[in-house]
Parts: sequence; C-alpha cells; structure tokens
Amino acid sequence: MLKIKNLKTSVNDKTILDGLDLSIKPGEVHAIMGPNGSGKSTLANVLSGKNGYESSGSIIFNGENLNDISIEERAQKGIFLAFQYPLEIPGVNTNNFLKTSLNTVRKARGQKEIDTLTFLKLIKEKSLELGIDEKFLSRQLNVGFSGGEKKKNEILQMKLLEPKLAVLDETDSGLDIDALRIVAEGVNTSRSNENAFLIITHYQRLLDYIKPDFIHVLSKGKIVKTGGSELGEQLEKSGYSNLEA
Amino acid sequence: MINNFQLNLDSIKNISLEEKRIREKKLMLFNDVGFPSKKFEEWKFTDLNKIITDNFKELTVATNIKNNENINLINDFEHNFLIIKNGILEKINLKYEDEEKVKVDNYEYDLIDNDKSSNPLINLNNALFQSGYSLKVHQNYKLNRPLVIYNLFSGNLDNKIINNKNSIKLENNSQVELVELNFDNSSYKFIQNSYTNISIGKESSLINYSIQGNKSNGFFYKFVKSILSEKSNYEDYIFSSGLKFNKIEEEIDINGDEAKCNIQSAIFLELDEHNEIKTLVNHFKPNCNSYQKIKNVLSDKCKGAYQGKIFVRDIAQKTDAYQLSKALLLKDTSEFNTKPELEIYADDVKCSHGSTSGSVNEDSIYYLMTRGLNRKSAIALLTKAFLFEVINSISNIDIKKFIEKNLDRQIYGH
Repeated sequence: MLKIKNLKTSVNDKTILDGLDLSIKPGEVHAIMGPNGSGKSTLANVLSGKNGYESSGSIIFNGENLNDISIEERAQKGIFLAFQYPLEIPGVNTNNFLKTSLNTVRKARGQKEIDTLTFLKLIKEKSLELGIDEKFLSRQLNVGFSGGEKKKNEILQMKLLEPKLAVLDETDSGLDIDALRIVAEGVNTSRSNENAFLIITHYQRLLDYIKPDFIHVLSKGKIVKTGGSELGEQLEKSGYSNLEA
Repeated sequence: MINNFQLNLDSIKNISLEEKRIREKKLMLFNDVGFPSKKFEEWKFTDLNKIITDNFKELTVATNIKNNENINLINDFEHNFLIIKNGILEKINLKYEDEEKVKVDNYEYDLIDNDKSSNPLINLNNALFQSGYSLKVHQNYKLNRPLVIYNLFSGNLDNKIINNKNSIKLENNSQVELVELNFDNSSYKFIQNSYTNISIGKESSLINYSIQGNKSNGFFYKFVKSILSEKSNYEDYIFSSGLKFNKIEEEIDINGDEAKCNIQSAIFLELDEHNEIKTLVNHFKPNCNSYQKIKNVLSDKCKGAYQGKIFVRDIAQKTDAYQLSKALLLKDTSEFNTKPELEIYADDVKCSHGSTSGSVNEDSIYYLMTRGLNRKSAIALLTKAFLFEVINSISNIDIKKFIEKNLDRQIYGH
C-alpha cells in the first residue's frame, strides 16, 4: 500500500528525514517511535502533503507516486492524518464541517453524497462509539474542546472518512487512561484487511491497547531498528539512547 | 472638474418659488466643493472626486426612466412590501397590517433650509431630490410581519444620478422590522445618493436589514440620520456586498435615557469593489448602550474601510459603548482601512474599540485540506465562518436564513 524509499526532507536547509525507507501492506499496523526531534511529525506532515518541505526520494501509495499530488487529493485517495494538535476553527460548525468533508471525499471516490438525515444518523452512531457528547458536534470546530475531546474528534473524522491509510500523530498525547482506551478501541474496530495504520508515538502506553505488527525506531531521520510488538516494551525499559546509531 | 456634469434644477418641475430658492442655495453649496476628495477627513479612505471623475464623463439627473420590469417577490417569509423603482415609490402592500396604523406615502418636501450640513452629498441631495418614501408607524402599533422595501434599478440609467429622500418615523411604543432589498438589473453606471431620516419614539424598536441582492455597477451613497428616544432600540444590519461602490454613513443621536443602538455588518468584497461604512454615535443621554461590529472579507483588488466615532457628552454617564472592526484579507492586493475615534466627556463610562485585519490562517487551510477540501473550498468555508458570526446574532429566524442564503450565493456563487 505504501512504499517510502530513501525519503530525504529538509526545512530551510535543515535536514530532518535523512533516507527513510518504510513499507506498509494492507491490514498492517505500524508504529513509529523515537525521541523528540527525530522527524516523526515531519513524516506525518510529508505524507499528508503539507507545504514547506523540500523532499527527495519517493513515496508510492497504491502504485501512485504522491510527489505531485495535492493535500486534498491525498485525503480523497484515502490518506488520513490525525493531528497532534487539531486546529480550532472559530465559526465553523463541527457537524457542517464533517458533512462537507465526508461528501467531498465521497464525491471524489465516485460515491453518492449523503443527505443531512442519513449523515446525522451516521454521526450519531459513530460518536456514540467514541463516547462523544452530541452537543459537541453542534459547536464550533474544536473551539473550547479539551485535549481529549479534540483527539476523539480526530478519530471520529477518521471513522467517517474510512481512509485506507490512517496516520495518527501522537494521538495519545494529552489523553487520560479512559480516553486512551476509547481512542484505541476506535482504531481497533476500524481495522480490516484493506486498511493500514501508521501510529506515531513516544510511549509504549498506546501500543498496549493497539497491538502493532511492526515497531520502527526513528532516529536522526532514519529508521534504525524494526521489530515486533515486543520492541516497544524493550524500549520502555532501555530508552532510545542505546539504540541510536 | 464637474463641467460635463449637468447637475441643475431643470428637471425639477412644479415647485414653489420658496422651494426653488432653497434648492438653488443647496446646489450652490454643493458646487462650491463638488464631489469630495480625500482631502476631506470624512473621505480620506474614499476619494469620491477621483472615483466619480474616473468613472463618469457626463452626469445628468435621472428623469422618467422607463421601467416596466416586474420584480420577483421573495417567498422566504411572509411580508408586507414597498416597491421602489429607480427611486420612485410604485407600490405599497401592507396586507398584514392595520392600515390605519401604518402609513406609507411619497416623501413630501419639507423646508429643510435649516439643515446646515457641510456634507456636499447631503447638500446635493437637498438640492436635487425628487422622490422617496415616508413611513410612519402609529403609537402602540407593532407590525405583524416585516416590511420589505424592494429597491429596483433598471432601464437606461447610464450616467444618471438619482437623489432620494426617505423618512421613517416610529411613534412611541411601536415596532417594525425593515428589510431593504436592492436589485440592479440595469448593468449601467449610475449614482444613487440617498438620505434617510429616522426617528424612533419612546420604547419603540426599529430593526433594519440592508441586503444587496445581486452585483451592481451603480455607485451608492447613503446617509442615515437616526434620533433615538428614551428606552428605544435601533438595530441596523448591513449586508451590502457586491456593489462596485458603496458608502454608508450613519449618524445616530441617542437622545433619551436607556436607549440601545446596535450596528453590525458582514461584507464580502471581490473584484474591484469598494465599500465604506462610517458611523457617528452620539451619546447625549445617560445609561445608554451602543454596540458596533463590522466584519469585512476582501479579495482581489477591492477596498474596504470603516470609520467609527463614538461621542459621549458630559452628562451621558454610565454609557456603555463598544466598536469592533475585523477584516480578513484574502489577497495581498486587497486593502482595508479603519479609523476608530472616541471622544468622551463623561467620567463614568465604559467605552472600547478594537480593530484587527489579517490574512487567512494557513494552518487552518491545511487542516481543512487534509479532510478532502480543496484550497478554494477551504477558504470559502473560513470566509463564511468569519462572516456568519454577524448573521448568527439575528434573532428573526426567517430573516436569518434568508440572509445566510444570500451570503452563500455571494461566497459560493450559487
């Protein structure tokens, strides 16, 4: 599904990703761990198509080179980024936004747009699963939401858009234990043989709930170690410093 | 400079000698100055002289413009209506009201020689006005439905100037909601110079919505003078997007205790449109409240301006006055100017003003794009969000929906 080869990325001449290789197949869950500043969020941003990065190397998504593909087209093709810091957007009603987003993506995928009634039914069901109070949905997008509510809102969007590849950028940061479990549950119930997840995190904690197939350690812009889910526990004990090349 | 402009009284027939004398005097006052240039403080952001001379080679007073066009009434909500074509009152329909209690007529000339205005456009209006309406709501009467004023422009208005005078009088304890809806089907360049006198009686309420229904090549100047009595309420919502040139001046005298005044505007400008709102709120009595919120979104090469002044007389203690201007600039080529002014002679008051202008937050655009929206839709969504705040404060749900629909058309083009 995703093949990244020798990805080098810099911002203002500062190298961040320095020859990263990563391959993800449908049905897999990959986790990327690594110390601060190792390039984890940059990887997430580059996958989403964010401007402002100088990149070389290749990112192939379902056989297509993503280089010249815009942010919104990537989203329409099934790449979803759950933000580390979801934006507050005053004046934009959450429900309206979700419906606009869903219908834009459905349209691009050649699916029929859904009407307000069907949408409301769908959103009710999904938000119930995530323990989201419906009242939040009639409020302005993320405005005045707590950290946990913002993150749950990201997962709600993920569940609505049903992406092929979901990139979760430190979705666990700022979550209490209960919220963490709900968010993890949200991911687990979305898993299928057709989609894949890339989970970026600092801590093993989230991975106790979402069992990854692979854990990669990112350091200085490269993957320096790859292992199974046991690698996370090992890291928790020994820290990153022993692994750095 | 105004040599090619035939601004004279020739077309104004059947008037008394006295009226003629006054009008000639007013015309002379206008001619001394002409259309004001930016040298006038009031016009510093809108060089009307340049704008008029750049756009009009000739200019004549509009008379007998043939216009048989019918107007499509809106069916969004039940309403009374007036139809005004090229400034002339053509139809009155007050079917939801007690016709003894609400009176609408052609504006009658009153001897306005005591109007000592130094505003050249008011002088021009006083010299040349030919038509307009007067609305009077009797004591203790509250209109059952809004009154929609359809202002239609059509026919050959090329290089014409239309001068109107209107008057709105609410006697004590009365109430009306006015929706001024402008449509221009003419496609010509013309000028409308209008002057409206509003008087709101004790414990009465006037809510006015100005809405531009389509794009126009007309040049609009509107001066509104309002006098508020004790415990009265004046609300004015301005949605005049889509005009090539528009300047609205509001002068509000708060002349009674515990009166309230609320002016809000949400404007979406594009192409080379020009919009200015200028207000002067005079707090002459204590315990009154005034609130102003002006929001502009500017694209392309358009220009927006807001000049807001709050004046508080020494006896107007416990005044609570607020003004805020926010502008969102979508292009580097668009321009917004603002000048807030406070002049306060009372010591126990709460007065504040604020002003911000900036571009759209790129991070917000990025966030929306990662959810599948293209850049244009993301900006449209943020534009709507920015302006909707004003619409959201409208309490009449039907009118609110109607205005939202109008805004959607302006932003999304449908």
